[in-house]
Amino acid sequence: MAITATLTLSERRIGIGLSISLALLGLVMAAAARQGPMAVHGAIALALGLGLVFVLGGALYDHPEPGPGRLGRYYDAPTRFGIVMTLIWAVIGMSVGVWVAALMYWPEATPLWPATSFGRLRPVHTTGVIFGFGGNALIATSFWVLQRTARARLADAVSPWGVLIGFNLFVVWAVTGYLMGSTQSKEYAEPEWYADLWLVVVWGAYFVLYIRTLARRAEPHIYVANWYYLSFILVVAMLHIVNNLALPVSWTGAESFPIWSGVQDAMVQWWYGHNAVAFFLTTGFLGMLYYFLPVRAQRPIWSYRLSILSFWGIVFFYMWVGSHHLHYTALPYWVQTLGMTFSVMLLVPSWASAGNAIATLNGAWHRVRDDATLRFMFVAAVFYGLSTFEGSFLAIRPVNSLSHYTDWTVGHVHSGTLGWVAMIIFGAIYSIVPRLSGRADMAWPKAVEWHFWLAVAGTLIYVVSLWNAGITQGLMWRAYDQNGALSYSFIQSVEAMLPYYAARTLGGALFLSGAILCALNCRATMRRAGSISDAADRPLVAQPAE
Amino acid sequence: MTTDPRALPGADPHTGNREVDPVTGYDTTGHDWNGIKELNTPFPRIALVALVLSFLIALTGWILLPAWPYGRDYTRGLLGLDQGEMAQEGARAMAGIRQDWLGRFADPDFAALAADTALMGLSMPAAGRLFGDNCAVCHGRAGGGVPGFPVLNDGYWLWGGDPETIAETLHYGINSGHPDARFAQMPAFDWMDRADRAALAGYVAALPSGRADPASAAATLFQDNCAACHGEGGTGGLLNGAPALTDDAVIYGQDVGTVMKTLRGGRQGVMPFWSDRLSAAEINLLALYVSRLSVETGRRTE
Amino acid sequence: MLKLHYNLEKISMGLVGAIIAVASVGGIVEIAPLFTIQSTVEIPDDMRPNTPLELAGREIYIREGCYACHSQMVRHLADEIDRYGPYSLASESAYDHPMLWGSKRTGPDLARVGGKYSDDWHVAHLTNPRDFVPVSIMPAYPWLMRPLDTHLIEANLATLARLGVPYDAQMVSNALGDARAQARPDGDGADGLRDRYGEGIALRAFDGDPARLTEMDALVAYLQSLGKLTNAAAALLKEDAQ
Ligand code: HEC
Ligand code: HEC
Ligand code: HEC
Ligand code: HEM
Ligand code: HEM
Ligand SMILES: [Ca+2]
Ligand SMILES: [Ca+2]
Ligand SMILES: [Cu+2]
Repeated sequence: MAITATLTLSERRIGIGLSISLALLGLVMAAAARQGPMAVHGAIALALGLGLVFVLGGALYDHPEPGPGRLGRYYDAPTRFGIVMTLIWAVIGMSVGVWVAALMYWPEATPLWPATSFGRLRPVHTTGVIFGFGGNALIATSFWVLQRTARARLADAVSPWGVLIGFNLFVVWAVTGYLMGSTQSKEYAEPEWYADLWLVVVWGAYFVLYIRTLARRAEPHIYVANWYYLSFILVVAMLHIVNNLALPVSWTGAESFPIWSGVQDAMVQWWYGHNAVAFFLTTGFLGMLYYFLPVRAQRPIWSYRLSILSFWGIVFFYMWVGSHHLHYTALPYWVQTLGMTFSVMLLVPSWASAGNAIATLNGAWHRVRDDATLRFMFVAAVFYGLSTFEGSFLAIRPVNSLSHYTDWTVGHVHSGTLGWVAMIIFGAIYSIVPRLSGRADMAWPKAVEWHFWLAVAGTLIYVVSLWNAGITQGLMWRAYDQNGALSYSFIQSVEAMLPYYAARTLGGALFLSGAILCALNCRATMRRAGSISDAADRPLVAQPAE
Repeated sequence: MTTDPRALPGADPHTGNREVDPVTGYDTTGHDWNGIKELNTPFPRIALVALVLSFLIALTGWILLPAWPYGRDYTRGLLGLDQGEMAQEGARAMAGIRQDWLGRFADPDFAALAADTALMGLSMPAAGRLFGDNCAVCHGRAGGGVPGFPVLNDGYWLWGGDPETIAETLHYGINSGHPDARFAQMPAFDWMDRADRAALAGYVAALPSGRADPASAAATLFQDNCAACHGEGGTGGLLNGAPALTDDAVIYGQDVGTVMKTLRGGRQGVMPFWSDRLSAAEINLLALYVSRLSVETGRRTE
Repeated sequence: MLKLHYNLEKISMGLVGAIIAVASVGGIVEIAPLFTIQSTVEIPDDMRPNTPLELAGREIYIREGCYACHSQMVRHLADEIDRYGPYSLASESAYDHPMLWGSKRTGPDLARVGGKYSDDWHVAHLTNPRDFVPVSIMPAYPWLMRPLDTHLIEANLATLARLGVPYDAQMVSNALGDARAQARPDGDGADGLRDRYGEGIALRAFDGDPARLTEMDALVAYLQSLGKLTNAAAALLKEDAQ
């Protein structure tokens, strides 16, 4: 279905204007830089801008304008596009994940071509999955959830596209940058200064769209899911700006130096890094959970009051704990103590939200048994509980002395990202996609069941093997014999990891095949839908509340 | 809209309760977002208890440990801990345990130490670990060497295989930049005719198999240019850092091609010095360990 | 309380303000004092910044993602002191924009690797690690023998100087010459370089060929500088042992 048909003529003209600006920006970047990553990125922006001009220009008079009736419906075409991007990035990001996992016991497989070496591909994986897969899913579902819980149509029709396309341009710049060796090396904030700036612009547009739509709501109260989405948008902006403050070496090149250095940089980086976990990989997804789980289970949220406690607890406590990434380092002890103690307190609101979700399923357990989609959400809530427990445990200083720098951290990461983040995304996708296509169910309902078991098996194999790996590694590093001498050389610990790395690759491959199945299933479902773009699931009452 | 739940539509005018959920028996808040409702379940006791408990744990931490910043300083905590001191204490404690046996290596009588089988039994694994973390990347995990770096387990030595000599090599290194480093240089013979170099290379390559012709012109060249360091006929043994060329021990390689490269460019391998990284006792321990490698492989020639 | 919240839920900008306020506290309390408390970073007298060549090597280290596998932070733990050497001090990374403490040790810590191995070894190891360590899982970097791109060297120093790294005008204007001189021990630039950065710096043909300035030169010069910018950590530990 032509997306352009959902836009009015004047919206198409605005779109063309914006696309021309993007093309011009790209042209300026390419011309100013002339070579290197910034020039390539300029060229990408130029091509994208021109492409959009053609699409919109071609459509200017082709498609009739949408009727005024559209204002009485939710605007779901951006959500649909966001989900397609989510699935594309899922396959890219996780394929690279499986590939780098394989490289960790089969390094000879690296082609002797700089772009393909481990150190450059690893951030392609992390950015691809966190921002590409996770970010698109968050934006796409936030539009869906916001409209329905506010009973208001998105405030305008152009900016959702600007946000989604702009965000994906950021991710493309990021991953292609790493391949060319362009990185600031700050974990989860690797992109260079101009990409960082671009994201600020996109994020600003996202916030404005969100808050304008929220202001139009027909429901006096703002639903919990929106508190979480809102905290995700706001705090990610704060974190992103502070952590990425940098001085470019020149305005026409991709090199810059962060203004922070040494200990202060370490603290800012992990204040950001931990809260990228918290406000990107947690609060946004809690928003998702808070909407899709009760809808699918057809149960009321178990406790409104508990929602309040967990929300503010999470927003407040999370921001203190970044220093648990720096235990025993040159960071002063006092900050480490604060990081540790707040991490312990953080467990309470975290478990409160996991518990609230699981208690919501009371009275719907038969649905959990029969419906793989709901089971995805249930498993997500369980893994959310598990990984936050594990996180608080790892944040205890002496425990961290064992786990830090080892594969235990990576095991923890993937119990959170595979078990929690990816599972809730899949649950949400399987809830939305049939609706978007005007169907009751996915095209291949059996495949959802298959996907579920592949995902669970993959996660368990991945996480269990890396727990073993990490604990073995940590113990080998610190093992002294009874004569007071270290027992193992470093390389022995590397050797000991190989079987676990192999098992992890297998687990990752299972998880990836599930994701591919999901992508194919969604494609089949959307294809069968023909030209439907909005799920007219509930009529809108157009009356602002504020 | 009112905030008073009792005034809301459908609410019980006394309790404010509305729709009651048949499964849990709790009432809902009265909102409906696209079909989602919320129960007004009170805070579960356990959540409040857990919150208080976790706060008490945190509070204990703040009282005992360095925790809160203020202005230009921070609270030290009752325990007065300092992570630098603690780390050094820990390291000293381990060193104390090692001192019992490692101390005997500080000023060693190597023959006596080597004869003490109990001591060897507990010290050699430690030496193996030190070797693994410091030496193995150049000399191989079992001392088997890698191209460009000498084999240590074959009983052929550049400087000598007794523990005292090895310890000195470890202390100061070879060409290492340390002021007392051993110096060893294979000069470049780039001034020599290429044809002569080729003849020499052929001659040197044939030395180990004994097929080199001592009457050839190359042999004369060798006597004139090389014997000073590598010994008459290349038999080495001068312990000046120049290897014997008649045995099967090689560093860079003794095929014609590699020897040509050696002659054209010269060689000056670098063995780092360890005196600022390892203690004297550790160095002596390693020296004894290295001297015994060739005994273990049964390749000591003596 | 509940009532307050009940009302807050109805005002979207109120919620926005509350979230920003509540989320700001932690960061402010933990980050701001790191700039005001003197004992956080104490720069020792003998501390020097990286030379231009080392800095270029650092950029390559970042570009290739070495930090994904190697930490540069010896923690305050006995076993790390025994394995790697004195624990890292805050001052040792004070001029690092950004710091490279790392978060994963797939390979060993590198904070004290300077001087541990020879240049030749580094060159050969980076070219193919498995020639030396058969079970190594480190990737090979054969392309590092290409010429070093030097066009930003001076601008890099100037930018860092603006951020507070003690590069003086001399150092900035001689950056390119200094980079070349450090890998050409017999050239004329050597004395000037030593004047500016101290006698202790490594001044060698790192990749074995003084005629060409390669990425390998820069990266090896950087690796050889790790842990060598100040002697304070070793001195601290030695002092303590007495
Ligand atoms: C950077 C690589 C490197 C490391 C690390 C290294 N060595 Fe060496 N070592 C060499 C080289 C190269 C030589 C030969 C120098 C020459 O060619 O003259 C050598 C020579 C020696 C010799 C002299 C051999 C003889 O025949 O006299 C001994 C003994 C030795 N190393 C022991 C050790 C020990 C023990 C360690 C660890 C504490 C160690 N090496 C670490 C490179 C290294
Ligand atoms: C000044 C002393 C000196 C002279 C003269 C000298 N060499 Fe050497 N040679 C050395 C030293 C020292 C080494 C070991 C270098 C190292 O390990 O880095 C060596 C190494 C070699 C090697 C490498 C051995 C191996 O195991 O890979 C060959 C081959 C060799 N020399 C041949 C010759 C020939 C042929 C000549 C005469 C043209 C000669 N040398 C003259 C000192 C000398
Ligand atoms: C996939 C992970 C990985 C990446 C990426 C990686 N390394 Fe390594 N590195 C290792 C492992 C494992 C070892 C230990 C085995 C060995 O010595 O090869 C190691 C060892 C080393 C050592 C020897 C350290 C010692 O004390 O023995 C140095 C130096 C080193 N790497 C430098 C680098 C540099 C520079 C880069 C980037 C250009 C890099 N590494 C990238 C995994 C990696
Ligand atoms: C197909 C499944 C996946 C596989 C095989 C996989 C594999 C890997 C590998 C090999 C690493 C590097 C670990 C190391 O350096 O030791 C890694 C890191 C990481 N991955 Fe994945 N991954 C997968 C899915 C995901 C997903 C879905 C997410 C997020 C939504 C994710 C987030 C991360 C993060 C954040 C890191 C960095 C961890 C750290 O620095 O500690 N991964 N992954
Ligand atoms: C209460 C909640 C949590 C706490 C207290 C917590 C704590 C921790 C700790 C202590 C570490 C290890 C730091 C180190 O030693 O380097 C860590 C790493 C990490 N955690 Fe968590 N965690 C929590 C929840 C989660 C969740 C839900 C996710 C994912 C969705 C997650 C993702 C990560 C990632 C990606 C890292 C790796 C960071 C890096 O080193 O690159 N965490 N966390
Ligand atoms: Ca950045
Ligand atoms: Ca990490
Ligand atoms: Cu964290």
